[in-house]
Amino acid sequence: MTMDETIRLVLSEHGRLQVDPATLEDATDLFAVGMTSHASVNVMLALEDAFDIEFPETMLKKSTFESIAAIRTSVQQMTEA
Amino acid sequence: MSPELDLMESRIGLLASETLGRLAHSSEPILFDDGAPDGVIKAPTSVRVGIDLVTVTDIAGSIDRFGAKYLERLFTPHELGTCRTAGTDGQPVWSTESLAARFAAKEAVVKVLRPDGPRPDWKSIEIHRSEAGWCEVRLFGRAQVLAGEAGITELAVSLTHEGQMAAAVVVALCTTGRPAGPVDQNQGKV
Repeated sequence: MTMDETIRLVLSEHGRLQVDPATLEDATDLFAVGMTSHASVNVMLALEDAFDIEFPETMLKKSTFESIAAIRTSVQQMTEA
Repeated sequence: MSPELDLMESRIGLLASETLGRLAHSSEPILFDDGAPDGVIKAPTSVRVGIDLVTVTDIAGSIDRFGAKYLERLFTPHELGTCRTAGTDGQPVWSTESLAARFAAKEAVVKVLRPDGPRPDWKSIEIHRSEAGWCEVRLFGRAQVLAGEAGITELAVSLTHEGQMAAAVVVALCTTGRPAGPVDQNQGKV
């Protein structure tokens, strides 16, 4: 499974989105399509499990989880570090 | 609007007025370091209000899915201690309503802190339950720094839950200066 597929699967299971994550553009604002702050916590924890990473406090900002592109950038930063 | 949401809306209005009332009747002096001699007392220059609403079943679902990782990432040992009882099999039984209200309170605190950049870690905001039952906000780390930068000198919080909804209101008194002296966390001040 590619990184994008994993991110979309995590969003499907935990994002509580009002639309199918498979249909989202990379830049779509996830909070605008229904992701709550608590759902973003679940997304964060599921991403940590999926990619064996841990989001540091410096990355705990809305922009880290606001789109598939933003999530991919953050995950890449941590997996390549 | 469902009767449950209707009831929650009226509860939130009561929460806000109750929280403001507690601040208005605070007997604690408020000290600021604005370069003037120690002990200068000024009135707050502004008030900030934060509110958040959480679905209790969402918290229960996260505990089921992520277990200790979820609980220990979001809640302090004190918060966990005040939200659990021992089950008959010795395993902890979580009050998901209380945890939901505390999560809502943490989000409400973030709204009054207004971080311009990374938000503070959830555990740097503690909802401390006194023996008398009142809850107070205690800040640590980045949350404490943000409060200092905003000139927040007092925080008050009120929590509620009804059915599957939990909510919290936080009110902050602010000045333009930084709070004087060390933070007295035992008093729940910022």
